[in-house]
Amino acid sequence: MSPAGGDREHLVSSAFTRLADTLVDEYDVIDLLDRLVGYSVDLLAVEAAGIVLGDVRGTLRVVAASNDDAQLMELLQLQNDEGPCLECYRTATAVSVPDLAGVVDRWPRFTAAVDVQRVFRSVHALPLRLRQESIGALNLFNGLPGPLSEADLSLGQALADVATIGILQERAIRRGEVVTQQLQTALNNRVVIEQANGVLAERGTIAMDVAFDRLRRHARRTNQLLSRVARRIVERELDPDAVLET
Amino acid sequence: MAPPRPPPARPVADQGVVTRALLGIVARGGREHALAEQICRACVAGLDVDGAALSLLTRSSARETLWATDPTAELLEDLQFTLNEGACMEAATTGAPVSVPDLAAGVEVRRWPVFAAALAEQAEVGALFALPLQWGAINLGVLDLYRRTAGGLAPEQWRDALGAVDVATLLLLSARTDPDDGYDGGLDPATSARAEVHQATGMVLAQLDISAVDALARLRAHAFVEQRLLIDVARDVVTRRLRFSDDMA
Repeated sequence: MSPAGGDREHLVSSAFTRLADTLVDEYDVIDLLDRLVGYSVDLLAVEAAGIVLGDVRGTLRVVAASNDDAQLMELLQLQNDEGPCLECYRTATAVSVPDLAGVVDRWPRFTAAVDVQRVFRSVHALPLRLRQESIGALNLFNGLPGPLSEADLSLGQALADVATIGILQERAIRRGEVVTQQLQTALNNRVVIEQANGVLAERGTIAMDVAFDRLRRHARRTNQLLSRVARRIVERELDPDAVLET
Repeated sequence: MAPPRPPPARPVADQGVVTRALLGIVARGGREHALAEQICRACVAGLDVDGAALSLLTRSSARETLWATDPTAELLEDLQFTLNEGACMEAATTGAPVSVPDLAAGVEVRRWPVFAAALAEQAEVGALFALPLQWGAINLGVLDLYRRTAGGLAPEQWRDALGAVDVATLLLLSARTDPDDGYDGGLDPATSARAEVHQATGMVLAQLDISAVDALARLRAHAFVEQRLLIDVARDVVTRRLRFSDDMA
């Protein structure tokens, strides 16, 4: 939910200070995107946020979500076929739907899924773009119909821009490296983390989001990249119990 | 009033010729060599390279060249296996593509001194590109491309090569985890993009203490036997309605 006045200003500046701190050092792109969707929910008048990236086939894939619940994931994934997020990605422009009831004809499957869930009423999609190239979208969901304020839209776009910078600069740009390569690395890191989440969830008999939390905590405490820790767990080089004890 | 027509699409992922060629291939269980051949041939036909090879070289399991388009491509693989260094070894270890536009340049020689020296002596290779076939934490192999003359791949060709490797990964993973030799269901990209499939793979890995590839194979076999979709089986595992044990099929 959007905080008011001076509070908000303080939160915004502290969020961007922390993001800038992250970007000067070696960092994990999924960790960064996860923080960004968290900030989106904290700072903007929205209830849920997710980031999707287009893979090499142009398929949109979820790389970060503010909450792990199946409903949000479903709405994000469904937009491979249709919806504001897909349109935002294809056109590289913001797509705002203040009331989903008004777009039933345009996106029948997407609005039907939203209807069944009875959780969200409005959606806003902001592009992740580098110059003319579109790499994905930041999706913002709200339980009430209505537009986002101009201030929220521009702050949301700033967060989406940080995501773009974070993804494309994740590693030192090597010779010949192209946007596709950075995208593929980010998407593959998400897969590594999901695989590790599964190992931890099974071993600790905990929920997936708790598993992710433990993974992140262990990575920060031991000063390692999230995806590196995750990779070692899946390769069975790192004992999951060591991570669960963190 | 009709909604305004969106402006033309500008997705990053414009598919190149090699990527499109590979999208037309159907994976079949137990046919990894045939798949590797098709993948390598498509790369040589569509990219500015002279040869290609596809090898398995995970840290834990045996090294094997599945296919090489010519003797030089084969030599490249043999040298790297024997010397335990080179672009393709690095790609497999880091999970990131390695581009060496000029093998004679000092930097590359310092990176893999023995490999570079042996290669210069035995073959005419100017540029080398190694692309890992990566599925999450799992390396399924490395695609090596070489050209006799030095020089980088043009950005659109590099993009096409990356796209091709992404498709090749899914093809090889399908072939390796197919529940039955005649099975032609394949792993579809949309399913393999679902978080639950990866989470379930991790859970089954932990339940049976097996590798991630074997865990995926078990999930696919179960889906096949039960005549269900992989995503539904994965969801059952994640929600703990289904647990794998050593004695179940």
